[in-house]
Amino acid sequence: MAGIGFELRKLLRTESYLGLLRAYTYASIISSGPWVFSIVGLIAIGVLSIGTVYPDALIVQFQVTVTYLIMSSLIVTGGLQLAFTRWVADRLFEKRDRAVVPNFLGVTLVTTAASGTLAWLFAWIGFRDASNLYRVLLIAGFALMSNIWVATVLLSGLKQYRAILLLYAGGYGLSVTLAWALRPLGVEGLFAGFLGGQFAMWFGMVALILRNFPLREPISLECFGRRQMYPELLLAGFFYNLGVWIDKLVFWYSEQTSQHVIGWMRASVIYDLPVFLAYLCVIPGMGIFLVKFETDFVEWYDKFYDAVREGGSLQDIAHYHDRMQETVREGLYQIMKVQTITLLAVYTFVPSLFAWIGISDLYIPLFLVHAAAASFQVMLLAVLNVLYYLDRRREVVAVTVTLTVLNVALSLLSITLGAEFFGYGLALALLGALMLALWLAQRLFRKLEYLTFMLQ
Amino acid sequence: MNTMPADLVPPPGTRIDVMLLLEGTYPYVSGGVSSWVHQIVSGFADLQFHIVFIGSRPEDYAQPRYQMPKNVVGLTHHYLFSEAVLPPPREWRGDPRTAEVVERLHDELRRKQHAAARAELLARSLKLMREDMTLAYLLHSHESWRYMTEQYQLRCTDPSFVDYFWTVRTMHTPLWTLADLAEQLPPARVYHTVSTGYAGYLGAVLSRRHHRPLVLSEHGIYTKERRIDLFSAQWISDNLPVLERTAGETGYFRELWIRMFESLGQMCYDAADPVIALYETNRQRQIADGADARTTCNIANGIHVGPFAATRTQRPEVPPPVMCLIGRVVPIKDVKTFIRAVRVASNRIPELEGWIAGPEDENPEYARECRELTRSLDLEHKVRFLGFQKLVELMPKIGLVVLSSISEALPLVLLEGYAAGVPAVTTDVGSCKQLIYGLGPEDEALGASGEVVGIADAQALGQACARLLSDPDAYRRAQSAGIERVERYYTQPLMFEKYRLVYEDALARSEARQRGVPDEVGRVATILRGEAPWPAREESA
Repeated sequence: MAGIGFELRKLLRTESYLGLLRAYTYASIISSGPWVFSIVGLIAIGVLSIGTVYPDALIVQFQVTVTYLIMSSLIVTGGLQLAFTRWVADRLFEKRDRAVVPNFLGVTLVTTAASGTLAWLFAWIGFRDASNLYRVLLIAGFALMSNIWVATVLLSGLKQYRAILLLYAGGYGLSVTLAWALRPLGVEGLFAGFLGGQFAMWFGMVALILRNFPLREPISLECFGRRQMYPELLLAGFFYNLGVWIDKLVFWYSEQTSQHVIGWMRASVIYDLPVFLAYLCVIPGMGIFLVKFETDFVEWYDKFYDAVREGGSLQDIAHYHDRMQETVREGLYQIMKVQTITLLAVYTFVPSLFAWIGISDLYIPLFLVHAAAASFQVMLLAVLNVLYYLDRRREVVAVTVTLTVLNVALSLLSITLGAEFFGYGLALALLGALMLALWLAQRLFRKLEYLTFMLQ
Repeated sequence: MNTMPADLVPPPGTRIDVMLLLEGTYPYVSGGVSSWVHQIVSGFADLQFHIVFIGSRPEDYAQPRYQMPKNVVGLTHHYLFSEAVLPPPREWRGDPRTAEVVERLHDELRRKQHAAARAELLARSLKLMREDMTLAYLLHSHESWRYMTEQYQLRCTDPSFVDYFWTVRTMHTPLWTLADLAEQLPPARVYHTVSTGYAGYLGAVLSRRHHRPLVLSEHGIYTKERRIDLFSAQWISDNLPVLERTAGETGYFRELWIRMFESLGQMCYDAADPVIALYETNRQRQIADGADARTTCNIANGIHVGPFAATRTQRPEVPPPVMCLIGRVVPIKDVKTFIRAVRVASNRIPELEGWIAGPEDENPEYARECRELTRSLDLEHKVRFLGFQKLVELMPKIGLVVLSSISEALPLVLLEGYAAGVPAVTTDVGSCKQLIYGLGPEDEALGASGEVVGIADAQALGQACARLLSDPDAYRRAQSAGIERVERYYTQPLMFEKYRLVYEDALARSEARQRGVPDEVGRVATILRGEAPWPAREESA
């Protein structure tokens, strides 16, 4: 997300508390916006459909379907998102701007073909009991969601954060509206409406990309060539997304925690809702993440490498190294602080809040564990981001694989231990991966200059 | 794109009499040293030569400029700054004990020492480089990094760490790759290097490793030339604002480089016997730089007199009023001073002309400036730029060979002029004084074959030319002194005779060493200096 720094720095320089607040708020909205819209959008469609769509199970079918689509498309394209972003960044660095859009279209083509085929197989084999319209929407939806991630990632690579935010707001607004309008048609209506909004959003993204980068060369698959994308990034992107979703899969497919919804899809009533709500608690942490790691850290990072390249003294280099390290430490500490305060506030207000919304207070303990887990995830994201900046791709793979393995193992364990341990699997897995990432980052910082100079 | 020149590998068991170690010259670069090497290799047809060419990077050299004589049985290329020879980067801790040895080694190098200690040091470092202290250790280990950063903080006065880092790395890497090369080269009976520097270091390594004699023929003085290069080099940054630089301050990196070349030169001087200079001033310089005086001697370049002598009959009765600079139009030849001297001389002799015989393509900007100067001095009808000329055709048409250079070694054009009966006027550089006034009582008795003036003194240069050209007696005396001097001291047979002595002595010592008979230090050099052999004395280790 490099590049947001400039706008944020301007806000931060106002030297007033109000300016500071504005900067952090802006950062929070920028960084959390897209997924907040998706969660709120999904819940809104559900709430608006109550009383119109019968039975309520159909609403659940719709919400679960969309959740599965989001999850599976994120996991399937996770590697490509990371590797392609890096590929684009490398081309921009080479001043080969013209190659970006032809390859984006190439990636779109491949994504559509691969995800479409995959979804078609699933719809054909796994959803014999569903209607044909549902199956067609499933296939189209999977291809569409996969393409939305690819386009989002390119736009954030091109530093169009504000545009992304507006597109998501508009897209989910339209999804909610269309779903509301089509709700009389049941689950297929809700689904079609939702996808209509998503399609408009994707269309807007592509239009924006083509407006910024007019197509001057034919569509290209260059980025899929040998030695074009880093295999470690493909792995890291895949395992990160798998790692943060796999506990849900474990709960969905364990007999005692789940029930059948539609086709191969199962859901866990007890597990899913707290997870989604918990993610709303990390908005402040994400703001800090953006300011500290994408603004302050990058500033020292740039100075460090400038000093390395342009002949600074060793003392200067060491100084910028220290400041980089300090920023990481400070950033993690601040995320921890703001998340603790948030969790304390949530802890105080959540019973009355849940009562007001009408959610059983049985969910509260699990919700709190999940909120803590989500806070760990923000910190993990921050440290991984540092490792990406310092180009330690193998370390990132190690961390994300660890996350996946721990999350499966501990989630399974938590199910056998009983309901009061639910959620701890994810939380501990994230904590473990975070510790590993911190240890690797610390080891890296100890020998950063050595690695920078002596391994060339 | 040119392809990398191929090695010529002699079949195993091939006898190699002389292995020539050449840095950046023969057969890819034409010029003084290369033509000399070609002369020697062709001249000793009964010896089998192996040529080791040391270059910077393969892409810096095009096609060979010389047809290799048949007695070259082997040719090896080595590139000091080619990426291909480097070990792949990998993280490595490195052995702290090795680091300790490296530290001691550098401490000892910094101290002034005697030859035996230096030889011990070289032997020890070579052993280490084969064992623990590999190139990978230098380039990639944590220990090496620790040592480098410590040294930077301790010694480096220049702020840029990245420059320090690359300087140290670039400087040291060739020492390893050359030590590796020394392992791979086939053994030879005698090693012969025509410079110190990297080739000289390789010579020292080979000579120590195989216990065979090393001959050094130094044309210029390598460390002095490097010093001049480094002073004017753009690629070594000082990182000091112009105003902070004090006059005469060399900058830390330049000093590092110069110190290294001095160390390499010292190692070569220690290992070589004889240490041959082209002329006396350079021999003194070698001694000052640390060569053992007993091993030093001079062997001047020799020319093929015949073709030039044949042109004497074509000379007109009265010397042509032409002063001629023979050389490339480049700043080191100081052509501008020559042009000004033409102005001075033509004020005395109205019909005088100044010719410049040499290519102008090497430095077109300088050539343009020279032509402009000609115009502004109103000499357009007197100064002629002739371009490259065949000297046997040119000589009968000119009255004087003039050199206005700011640097020369032993300029062959003076000798060629002498042979053709043309006296010379030169600046006081290199061996010019020796060539014009003679070296030693016998040579001096022949008289002056022209005149020597100060560098960049156009007035004196012009007056000297005018004096010689307008005084027929003085001219004739200079002419006959020149002819006598070149025929007596600077002929090719004479040079070959001396080198025959050098090679025979070295080959004999080579065989003797194999039988365990130690060298008699400076034997051949003493003979060549024409002195009585040094009294035998105890060799202190």
